[in-house]
Amino acid sequence: MRILLDKFSKAFGAVSVIEDMTLEIGDGEMLALLGPSGCGKSTTLFAICGIHKVSGGRILFGDRDVTSLPPQERNVGVVFQSYALYPHMTVRENIAFPLRIAGKSSVEVARQVDEMAQLVHIEPLLDRRPAELSGGQQQRVALARALVRRPHVLLLDEPLANLDAKLRLEMRSEIRRIQLETGITAVLVTHDQVEAMSMCDRIAIMDAGRIVQIATPTEMYNDPHTAFVAGFLGNPPIAFLRGVVSGDAIVVPQSDVRLPKPNGARNLAEGTRVSVGIRPENFGPAGDVPVRGRISFVETQGRENLYDLMLADGSVLRSIQPVRSDIAVGDEVEWSVASDRIFMFDDKGERI
Amino acid sequence: MDASRDKTGLPPASGGAGRAPARRRLGLLDSSRGLGVLLLLPALVLVILFFLMPVVLTGVFAFTNMSTATGISGGAHQVSPGSLRVLTERYGMGELAERLGQPTYLVDERGLAALEETGIAPGIVASLRRGHLDESFASRREFERAIRALPDRPDTRTVKRISDAFSRSLANARFTDAGALVAAAEAIDPDLTPEEKDALASATYTGWSWTTDNFRRLTSSRDTTRVFFNTLFFVAMTLVFFNIGYAMFLAIATHYMPERPAGIFRIVWFLPRISPVVIYVLLWKWVAWDTGFLNAVLSDFGVRPRNWMLDSATQAWFFVIMINGFVGASMGMLIFASAIKAIPETHFHAASVDGAYRWQQVRHIILPQLKWPILFVTCYQTLSLLTSIEQTLLATDGGPGGATEVWSLWIYHTALNNYAGNLQYGYGAAMALVLVVIGIVLSLIYLRLFNYNALITRPRIEL
Amino acid sequence: MNGHQKSWPIILVITILSAPLVLAYAYLFVDTITNSPPGSVVPHEFTLEHWSFLWQTRPGRLSIWRVTLNSLLFATTSAALVVVVSSMAGYVLSRLNVPGRSFFLAGVMLLHAFPAITLIVAIFIVLQMVGLYNSLIGVILVKAAIDMPLGIWLMKGFYDTVPWEIEMAGIQDGASRFTVWRKLVLPQVRPGIFALALFAFLLAWGEFILPQVLAPSGNAQVLSVYLASLIADDNNFDMALFKSVGLFYIAPVLVLFFVFQNYLMNIYGGGTKG
Repeated sequence: MRILLDKFSKAFGAVSVIEDMTLEIGDGEMLALLGPSGCGKSTTLFAICGIHKVSGGRILFGDRDVTSLPPQERNVGVVFQSYALYPHMTVRENIAFPLRIAGKSSVEVARQVDEMAQLVHIEPLLDRRPAELSGGQQQRVALARALVRRPHVLLLDEPLANLDAKLRLEMRSEIRRIQLETGITAVLVTHDQVEAMSMCDRIAIMDAGRIVQIATPTEMYNDPHTAFVAGFLGNPPIAFLRGVVSGDAIVVPQSDVRLPKPNGARNLAEGTRVSVGIRPENFGPAGDVPVRGRISFVETQGRENLYDLMLADGSVLRSIQPVRSDIAVGDEVEWSVASDRIFMFDDKGERI
Repeated sequence: MDASRDKTGLPPASGGAGRAPARRRLGLLDSSRGLGVLLLLPALVLVILFFLMPVVLTGVFAFTNMSTATGISGGAHQVSPGSLRVLTERYGMGELAERLGQPTYLVDERGLAALEETGIAPGIVASLRRGHLDESFASRREFERAIRALPDRPDTRTVKRISDAFSRSLANARFTDAGALVAAAEAIDPDLTPEEKDALASATYTGWSWTTDNFRRLTSSRDTTRVFFNTLFFVAMTLVFFNIGYAMFLAIATHYMPERPAGIFRIVWFLPRISPVVIYVLLWKWVAWDTGFLNAVLSDFGVRPRNWMLDSATQAWFFVIMINGFVGASMGMLIFASAIKAIPETHFHAASVDGAYRWQQVRHIILPQLKWPILFVTCYQTLSLLTSIEQTLLATDGGPGGATEVWSLWIYHTALNNYAGNLQYGYGAAMALVLVVIGIVLSLIYLRLFNYNALITRPRIEL
Repeated sequence: MNGHQKSWPIILVITILSAPLVLAYAYLFVDTITNSPPGSVVPHEFTLEHWSFLWQTRPGRLSIWRVTLNSLLFATTSAALVVVVSSMAGYVLSRLNVPGRSFFLAGVMLLHAFPAITLIVAIFIVLQMVGLYNSLIGVILVKAAIDMPLGIWLMKGFYDTVPWEIEMAGIQDGASRFTVWRKLVLPQVRPGIFALALFAFLLAWGEFILPQVLAPSGNAQVLSVYLASLIADDNNFDMALFKSVGLFYIAPVLVLFFVFQNYLMNIYGGGTKG
């Protein structure tokens, strides 16, 4: 089902957290709400499921306005970070709970619980209690309980945050599989860009209560609208240089770096301050604009190495390259930037 | 798993599944506000009935002279020898009192009707009505002479019956309100002045009335000063030596012990608190009593047997403070012990390395950390000691000779239970009012000290 | 614990200080089944005569079993009332969005500190007016009301430890706030409810002044008042009898305390009157 937030606002007392946010989530789509903590992504989630009352605007499920509906009547499935399984009930009772509340017959309940257990692969665990399950298993139970009512939308609040690295990888694909199999509209709230990029159809990146950009993961990676978005996506992260417009080039003061002015910066006045974002994979031995500096840090990542290069002005560029043994910390090197892949931002962080 | 089957198994929810059952719910139980009010209601009722109302009523009763004699429900008006004496002595209306005290005989329709009921010869009634209607006689003899003079010549028994039917005496008559009393009095003496009516109404009133005498009595009585200083002495001594001092000693001592003995000693010192107070005090009585434990032991050393608890005021105080203190110490012990436990272990190690001895550890590490717990216990225990009554009541009952009478016990003896049997509710309420006011003030201070705002978090579900 | 410092001197001191207390409780037990020669504390014979109160009712007194039943009734009913009222109100103060919530919270703290015993004169008069004087119902209500603020405060603390997500999940699953409380939250605080019930039971079981003032005579007499009136009766002074009745009265308390002391210590530390 299509979900629409129409000019949605939320304030806690006098503190406004979100103002006039509009967001549309397509039917069967999985959308990530990505942002740092305190950006309002959880607030948005709580507004969709109805735990928070909205201060302004509307929320539509399909064509139905649910803004003033209590959460019980919205039919939204939520998976919480802590899973929030009911500790005093078995897995079976946990999954059955929403159906029992809805007054389903016990035959019907048993049938649907079994169906769900099959879907999330927990059939052998049905008679255990949550305390006897691993984190990943609890997560699966939470998913089953959230989905058993056939909700209009599935909300996932940092579902992987409590799992260790290996399980996280496994559950990432499992959640996506289940979402695709059921064809449910889903919203994933996370602060982890890898989760957002790997699991979702689109990402809405949020900062200070606003949606900064909304796009597919690839689009967003290759075409960030702001410095914030560019900085948030990508691992290892993008590096920024402070530059000044000088003639038809951008120069980094107190260094010999001169970058060609991109098309969007044509009519920038002389001396305008800009910031230049360069991703680690676009800086290395192959490129067109040479940059000299001293290696300040080397991080071995196994297949690749990450090098920090300190420029004459003290700013740092990152480069990721296949492992090589000819470079050590303190070496002076001259590498190049692929100038067609750089992003330029004005002093407000907007893309030029 | 067959993906296509799963998809058909999970049709996009139409909304029907989610919405239809929602209507079954009770609206009131569904909103935070409705449910909240409903769940709070029993507590509110109890608070109103047993806290708010009694606070107000303590204030109200303090301004009355309610006692066993006046009763607690509204009184009545009774013309008794006593109230007539009051009328004579306090209002100087001796003549009125005398008149009301004497029976009067008034021939009226009411009496005639009553007489007809008794089945007396109608001729007599008729001649009475004819000859004497609305006539009144000051004495029985006078009236009976008039009856004998009737044409029917009734016999002596009939004369008695007739005179009884017309007797209009107020003596020992009871009226539920002043209006009925005045009406009855006017039937006898139609010329009552308003002053006489008022005097009559108040002189014959048996119930309680409004007064400020209680407070006048309380401020002028020498007992007040004595009981006040008793209370102060009791609270201060118990608090300093036991509720704080001994509790602190127990907490620190058990801290420097292996876990097992520490646990055992905490349980032992908990016994006074968990024991029902009657038994706890009984054990003390057994220790102190004439042929009790103390005497049995001391008699071997030639000490004269006596009741150690009530032998002298000093000994009585000693026991009262110990008895109360042993109960109070356990609360401080637990609170201080958990506060000491909360001190990071490294503080102690650091201090040991510095060569600090145990006493210095106590002085420089433990005591500074206990500032707030001490304040907490002091506040709390001051309030409970001020109003503590059970232990002292059962141990010395305020004796010997009122030496250990503290304020709360004084209230008990004044208003709730005493040998004389005249319970002065109003006076007791005035005494209690003093404690209620102190209690409210101290608990407000307590509330401020423990900034309760910090305890309040916003509900995270906004419904 | 600092291992290198000796603890035996402290243990010795505190043992000496505790000895009289232990001795007194030991003799509470010993004296009920033995006789001692006059002027001695060393028993010389075993006897069960002091327990005859169990099967012989003294003239002018209620049967011990009737009194015990009253005490049980008083303690269980008032504990049940405290638990029911506090588990309802505590939930509101912990979780629900009601107007004036912080006001109620302050009120509960205030009532908890306020010495309710000062109101006994007014309550005494009111109970007489409404005809609940000398009846168990009256004392039960008063006792429950007096213990309630502490109960609410404790229950609020227990509810505070239940994760919000459990309630949010319940609401998302379609349950009403009432169902969430009843079916999802209450089961999480069961240990707390049990501890409070036990605690309120012990408080009421040991209560003396309220029944003494509000229901001293008649058929509503409870064990504490019964025992106190035995002791106060100067014509029949029999310490062994008092102790036997006392042991009979205190036994359930000691058993419950030793079995459940872990539950209880915290609550007692949290603040009772005394």
